[in-house]
Amino acid sequence: MATAQVAKQTQSTMVQALQSALVEEMDRDKDVVILGEDIGVRGGVFLITEGLVDKFGTDRVIDTPLAEAGIIGAAVGMALYGLRPVAEIQFIDFIFPGFDLLVTEAAKIRYRSAGQFGVPMVIRSPYGGGVRGGSYHSQSPEAYFVATPGLKVVVPSNPYDAKGLLIASIRDPDPVVFMEPKKIYRSVKSDVPAGTYEVPLGKAAVVREGKHASLITFGAMVPVALEAADIMNKDGVEVEVVDLRTLQPYDTEAILQTVGKTGHVVLLQEAPQIGGYSGEIAAFIAENAIEYLEGPIVRVGGWDTAFPYALEKAYMPNPNRVVRALKKTLNF
Amino acid sequence: MDIKPFTAEPIRVLAPDGSTVENADKLGLSKDDFLTMYRWLVFVRGVDDRGYILVRQGRAGFYAQVAGQEAAQVGSALPLLKDDWMYPDHRSQGSMLVKGLTATEWFGHVLGRMADPTQGRLMPHGPGRRDLHIVPPASTVGNKITEAVGTAMAQRIKKRKEVTICYMGDGATSEGDFHVGMNFAAVYQAPALLFVQNNQYAISMRTDQQMRTKTIAEKARAYGMDGYLVDGNDIIAVYAVTKHCADSARSGNGPSLIEAFTYRYGPHSSADDDTRYRPKGELEMWRTQRDPVTRMRKFLESRGLWSDEQEQKLQAEVKAQLAAAMEEAEKSPVPEPLSVFDYTYESLTPHLQWERKQLAAELGV
Repeated sequence: MATAQVAKQTQSTMVQALQSALVEEMDRDKDVVILGEDIGVRGGVFLITEGLVDKFGTDRVIDTPLAEAGIIGAAVGMALYGLRPVAEIQFIDFIFPGFDLLVTEAAKIRYRSAGQFGVPMVIRSPYGGGVRGGSYHSQSPEAYFVATPGLKVVVPSNPYDAKGLLIASIRDPDPVVFMEPKKIYRSVKSDVPAGTYEVPLGKAAVVREGKHASLITFGAMVPVALEAADIMNKDGVEVEVVDLRTLQPYDTEAILQTVGKTGHVVLLQEAPQIGGYSGEIAAFIAENAIEYLEGPIVRVGGWDTAFPYALEKAYMPNPNRVVRALKKTLNF
Repeated sequence: MDIKPFTAEPIRVLAPDGSTVENADKLGLSKDDFLTMYRWLVFVRGVDDRGYILVRQGRAGFYAQVAGQEAAQVGSALPLLKDDWMYPDHRSQGSMLVKGLTATEWFGHVLGRMADPTQGRLMPHGPGRRDLHIVPPASTVGNKITEAVGTAMAQRIKKRKEVTICYMGDGATSEGDFHVGMNFAAVYQAPALLFVQNNQYAISMRTDQQMRTKTIAEKARAYGMDGYLVDGNDIIAVYAVTKHCADSARSGNGPSLIEAFTYRYGPHSSADDDTRYRPKGELEMWRTQRDPVTRMRKFLESRGLWSDEQEQKLQAEVKAQLAAAMEEAEKSPVPEPLSVFDYTYESLTPHLQWERKQLAAELGV
């Protein structure tokens, strides 16, 4: 983890940390502009851009018509021109009208222009369940983006990482889908330095050390993983929790290291399993670290259904489900 | 000449026989400007004829001809300035050549050689060049509209006196991105020229099967934007209308929609059979009576600006120039296989490095 050369630290929520990242970058670089629905005077529905229009003006804090294809398309065109747009999609469930622009255009223009053009832009969007959002305010669609070469996919799990990863994403030369776990926007606080710092893309973090099993996860599932690790610890089982932080490109070294250390792996995600991100990590481990495995790789995720409203609790992965998965591989 | 939006008939300076229906001398164009226009028309047609032969020879897999649409493409690209941006569609090589792409680069592109600025990464719909502000097109239809508007928004944010032109066909106006792009352009008063080449067919679908409105230009009304219908086979009219809209956008008066009414002579692409859907005689009528190149030549002849000798000389010059360009493109190497990984991201990810090693082993290099 990158350490900041700044003394001042404050206990911040992820909302505050994300806003701080935007302000730092907009202060530093006049080409950074933000755009999206209701991000101006409304401050965004989660208030991440609150007050920014007063500070930076309507040319750099751009309220847009209600059209995700327009937001993402305009961001691509701005990035090609030389700006560094940070677009907000109000909920990631609404991104699909703009999906074409992401996968057909943003992801491929560097490639199809043989490196002449780059698309340095960030699409920020809240994702994930646990907020009584039903099918269209709860999904975790990372697998679609990860499956598209040319896109980077970043998912922070805490305020400190959220700020450093967002700053790194804005400075990155390629398009980044930045998925924000809305459930922990305000529920977790951590020390966040006041100045500017980067958490490098492509680097995972071991958020809890352990030697008996590896629990590999990201985003809103990190607190769930830590809770499961606490439960296991009561029985003397030490679970290592790895927070991937960047899903594409992912940290192959960190994965091999933890698997080599523990020999037992549980993969935890919020999204449905079939074609899901955990499948990629499972295949990577099976191809490259089978010799270390002492039990099956077990996946825990949402069920392979749409996201339910009333039955959210039955749907969402919880610590007990993770504990059962850990026991399954440990008792193999 | 008074250029007005939403006319019932296309704006026209030259009648199909090359005679003038508007005073061509009041457009601020010199004799040399008219000659330049004509030379470009001949050049673009020459490039296209030569390019299409590559498909027949089995040396290229695909080609989409611009034949018939040269006036719409050349006439709309000539008023652009060096710093203006261009988003071509899949049939815009005429516009790209005027903006500065070379014939060698175009042939290199069709052949998939390194002479192609995009290094053979695209089906030959057209390459791009960053230094000329030409964004490489994609085969997908319509989604460059919002992007082009984004570029125009950036030009406005940066307070630059530049415009962005976005080319599309009649079929693209059915896509949702047309609506979104038009609306964004209007809301932000972006300096964008949304330029529709209405060649009356989207592959086999006629414009009257594609939409219920009589013209495409009139759709602009719904967005609070001006829409201009222009005879797309009249290069002087296309130039005048595009210049008018570009000047307006440059002075901060926002975007325009331009519909250039034209006709494509070739099939949709080399993979299409247009005899299945064109009514008998239609193509011949356009070729013999409304051809954009012939029309301009007749205009020049009527003014004593062009002769048979000049024509023969120009044809010979273009032929020699294109033969040299083709030779240079053919000499250019094919891309290195290991470069397949390059430019996915700015630098190779660990995963791509690993895949690169696999391909290197497979190739024994």
